[in-house]
Amino acid sequence: MSSYFFTLFALQTIGTLGGGLSDFPWLSVSILFPIGSAFLIPFFPDKGEGKQVRWFALSIALITFLVTVGSYINGFDINNENVQLKESINWLPKLGLTWSVGADGISMPLILLTSFITALAVLAAWPVKFKPKLFFFLILIMDGGQIAVFAVQDMLLFFLSWELELLPVYLLLAIWGGKNRQYAATKFIIYTAGSSIFILLAALAMGFYGTEVPNFEFSHLANQDFGQNFQILCYIALLIAFGVKLPIVPLHTWLPDAHGEATAPVHMLLAGILLKMGGYALLRFNAQLLPIAHAQFSPLLIVLGVVNIIYAALTSFAQRNLKRKIAYSSISHMGFVLIGIGSFSSLGTSGAMLQMVSHGLIGASLFFLVGATYDRTKTLKLDEMGGVGQKMRIMFALWTACSLASLALPGMSGFVSELMVFTGFVTDEVYTLPFRIIMASLAAIGVILTPIYLLSMLREIFFGKENPKLTEDKNLIDAEPREIYIIACLLLPIIGIGLYPRLVTESYLATINNLVDRDLNAVKSLPKTNVFAGNKSNQILKAPTI
Amino acid sequence: MPQASEIAWLIPVFPLIGAVLSGLGLICANKKINNSREIVSISLLSLVGVSAVLSYKTLIEQIHGYQSVEKLFVWASAGDFTIPMGFVLDPLGSVMLTLVTTITLLVMIYSHGYMAHDKGYVRFFTYLALFSSSMMGLIISPNLLEIYVFWELVGMCSYLLVGFWYDRDGAANAAQKAFVVNRVGDFGLLLGILGLFWATKSFDFNQIALGVSQSVSENSLPVWAALLLCFLVFLGPMAKSAQFPLHVWLPDAMEGPTPISALIHAATMVAAGIFLVARLQPLYSLFPSIQFIIALVGTITCFLGASIALTQMDLKKGLAYSTVSQLGYMMLAMGCGAPVAGIFHLITHACFKAMLFLGSGSVIHAMEEVVGHQPVLAQDMRLMGGLRKKMPFTSITFLIGCVAISGIPPLAGFWSKDEILGNAFISFPAFWFVGFLTAGMTAFYMFRLYFLTFEGDFRGENKELQKELLLASKINIEEEEHEEEHGSLHESPWSMTFPLVFLAVPSVIIGFMGFPWDSKFANLLDPEEALIALESFELQEFLPLAIASVFIATIGITIAYQAYFAKKINLSILFAQRFPSVNKFLSNKWYLDDINEKLFVKGSRKLAKEVLEVDSKVVDGVVNLTGLVTLGSGEGLKYFETGRAQFYALIVFGGVILLVAIFGFQSPQVT
Repeated sequence: MSSYFFTLFALQTIGTLGGGLSDFPWLSVSILFPIGSAFLIPFFPDKGEGKQVRWFALSIALITFLVTVGSYINGFDINNENVQLKESINWLPKLGLTWSVGADGISMPLILLTSFITALAVLAAWPVKFKPKLFFFLILIMDGGQIAVFAVQDMLLFFLSWELELLPVYLLLAIWGGKNRQYAATKFIIYTAGSSIFILLAALAMGFYGTEVPNFEFSHLANQDFGQNFQILCYIALLIAFGVKLPIVPLHTWLPDAHGEATAPVHMLLAGILLKMGGYALLRFNAQLLPIAHAQFSPLLIVLGVVNIIYAALTSFAQRNLKRKIAYSSISHMGFVLIGIGSFSSLGTSGAMLQMVSHGLIGASLFFLVGATYDRTKTLKLDEMGGVGQKMRIMFALWTACSLASLALPGMSGFVSELMVFTGFVTDEVYTLPFRIIMASLAAIGVILTPIYLLSMLREIFFGKENPKLTEDKNLIDAEPREIYIIACLLLPIIGIGLYPRLVTESYLATINNLVDRDLNAVKSLPKTNVFAGNKSNQILKAPTI
Repeated sequence: MPQASEIAWLIPVFPLIGAVLSGLGLICANKKINNSREIVSISLLSLVGVSAVLSYKTLIEQIHGYQSVEKLFVWASAGDFTIPMGFVLDPLGSVMLTLVTTITLLVMIYSHGYMAHDKGYVRFFTYLALFSSSMMGLIISPNLLEIYVFWELVGMCSYLLVGFWYDRDGAANAAQKAFVVNRVGDFGLLLGILGLFWATKSFDFNQIALGVSQSVSENSLPVWAALLLCFLVFLGPMAKSAQFPLHVWLPDAMEGPTPISALIHAATMVAAGIFLVARLQPLYSLFPSIQFIIALVGTITCFLGASIALTQMDLKKGLAYSTVSQLGYMMLAMGCGAPVAGIFHLITHACFKAMLFLGSGSVIHAMEEVVGHQPVLAQDMRLMGGLRKKMPFTSITFLIGCVAISGIPPLAGFWSKDEILGNAFISFPAFWFVGFLTAGMTAFYMFRLYFLTFEGDFRGENKELQKELLLASKINIEEEEHEEEHGSLHESPWSMTFPLVFLAVPSVIIGFMGFPWDSKFANLLDPEEALIALESFELQEFLPLAIASVFIATIGITIAYQAYFAKKINLSILFAQRFPSVNKFLSNKWYLDDINEKLFVKGSRKLAKEVLEVDSKVVDGVVNLTGLVTLGSGEGLKYFETGRAQFYALIVFGGVILLVAIFGFQSPQVT
């Protein structure tokens, strides 16, 4: 608790200093500070046990978190839909590369999420004994790299930070992973590095479009009038690149392997932040910069979203490995992000945004618990577990709470985001009625499937008679305070958002409204197709207003 | 001091605060809080008590004609949409609040005795408080969405409480089944809510009804779509109120501690479905075909529950099927367009069924002293008998409950059930006939329970019978063979008998609130309807129906008496041997559990396995194959292990070099 009060106190201090700090380069600092500090780690006196390094890393991660919070409090106006906290320095003018960072409503919540989850991941990495210096070095690099992904306002810079963040993940997987870590890490790098070539291609194409001087700034690209075919080509390229990251079925198979092999803190980062990069980029580029192509591809996004939800839920149900089970559940939940992005309604899109934040918190908490459980049972196979709940009562309670959050129990954030996506999609008159009915009904099957696999999982781990093999050999101790604290930190915002979603939604509503208006205009320019409701049917189906 | 109706939102808040505090205590200071269990239970009890006082005050205010209160705030918004939340307090709400708080209080007192030796005492009380808070929230919800929120929360509490003894496999399975089956209903409810919101831009009960009727009459909403939406919403109550075919979870849910069976699975939560249908009456009354479906489902459930209850040997399961059957009656009333009758039966049933369940808990508590903590033994009526002499309070209150539920005047069940049957007779005579037959069956199986449990000789010492029962339920005997110090039968402590005696009072007299010729209850809930009913009441119509139902109930009781007390007729020869297929059909619960198991449980597992196969062999297979083919290496992806860093560097540097090349080519033109 004390550190919570400390955080509050520090926030207030930052708040009072606020007047003089409005020119402070908040975002650059939050990107460069953790990266710069990481390079101090090699010089850190430590005998290899990692007892000092972890405190150092924790304080750096906490300061970074405070800096991002400070940027939100001091420099961010939630009613402004444009990019704020802008900093622009001509970096390599010859390459047309500028250090341009800033944040609008889509970036800001994810920046906060990143620094928050990273700080908790450092705390979760407390027991790391193997090469702790390198481990925390990589985590801090990742922290800065991921904030950069969400904060940069230049597509070339975006590509570079996207790449920058891959390398630490690769090493974290390949060095600290499970038995199959080499295979998983290689698969991860081939998938993501291979797909990021598409980002580069699209970036180059868009930056050079119609000008002699390349310009990659988002603000410039947003005002470009790309032709329809050009947009479609870029859209496909970007959809593949971001679809791997999100992931979209069938581009997902790197994820269960990577998640299945990662250690708990890396796991938290993978599920909590990395997947959100895909969703963020889809919103930022596909929906924002390529509206005409987005209008044509959105039905596909909806279908893919539904496939994600059902397919991954079924695979998760059949999985016998705990980590892979939860990895697939992540894929299933990301389906709602896709539906929200394709929904053309500000309610649905803001639901997608909320789902990203919410899953960031819930996914991180579940994966952390998986790690903590593995530390005790030394097995991830559900067949070898059972009856653990009697020795680990508090752990059982934490698991139950997080699983219920994951199955979208009302009062928790997952419910609100899924509800917003559903409501936004169903009430939106852009699509024809039959399309909406079929897709909504199929997506709602997820509502039944999710509790089936999550509750079965709980039953197999905790319920029933004690498994003598487990209880004899292994040291099943209950959750320790550090673990309770981490889960409490995650559950607090989960429940907070669930009770009063406007805590988060207000921060990006203006940006989302603006974005959706732009996309809707693009839809209106389209000829009527089978899926989209044209003007005529629109009148018939238009719901009466009271 | 403000009117209690104005601050009704506080009613669920009090128990919630208690639940949160003791929940946090359980996680942060487990040992301390478990050692101070009395303090926790007393404070939770007093918090619920405060809610109860407030609820009674709102009820009194409503009776004195205070207006309905509704207060809303914007909970979420985006674009043009706003989603409001808040609370509403009207006569129906205040009646339900009073009922829920009263029964929760009694069950808490009872649990103090029943759970006295349980390690999870504090956890149990925490769950109880959490449940009561959610249930009160459900009652004061002003719109469908908020109802859905609390609907899920009570479902969660039910999950936690059914699985309370989580070391038992039965409890684990039952808890999951309860949650999943309810989610099937919620699937429909959620889609229905969304669809209605699409059609009317509102979650509010009355506005939905208004909007739907308007758009149907303007032809902007096709009738089939409206019907579909109504039916989808109805799926929710079907699951929650255990209506056929989604009733399968309720009998299994008896694995939970008995106080829970009384509170959640008899008196309050399962009634939430009925309550929701009552709230949606403005909508449902627009469509006679939906009304018909509701009545039909209610009638089937009513008959099914009673018929299965005829052959049950497990005391709690028998009561559970009886609950299913009675919920069917209530649903039938809703389908007949008589929500007041349905809610009236809900109230009377809550009183006597809670009492019956608590009574059965008292019996089980006593039986455990003799046969040990094995539910298969402690709940089986073949091992009971003759308990009346040892347990006077339990047996008398149980008998009162049996008389009440059988519909013998002047006890509560007679008035409420007869009102439903009277309404059914007018609306759907065929359904009336089924309900009428069921009334006879109800009287029979309830008195069968009573006679088997409390009369005759005690059979609990019969070791061979015990072994047989254990064998039949496939429980390893040796594991259970550790001989405990068995005590003797005795009456339960006062904390358990007091709620029984307390509930006996309303079970006898609460029916007087609803005389068909002067229903105070209808006056409160729906004064206009009550006036119409009063004017159209004729003794010549009421008496024949009433006499008929009393008559058939008496027949049921007589048969039960002859068969299980006087032992003059042997039903197994008379019936079971003559119609073995019918008997088998009934004792296998219409085979619905088997169908559920084979079709849905195994089917979904098989489907999931197949999808996983596809995922690992086909989707992932293609990936690995591509690696194999492009590299021409038999080792597939492993190839990269030797050169993975180089490969990665190649990509990055290739990209950068490409960039430099392009810009280098371009730059002269720039400068």
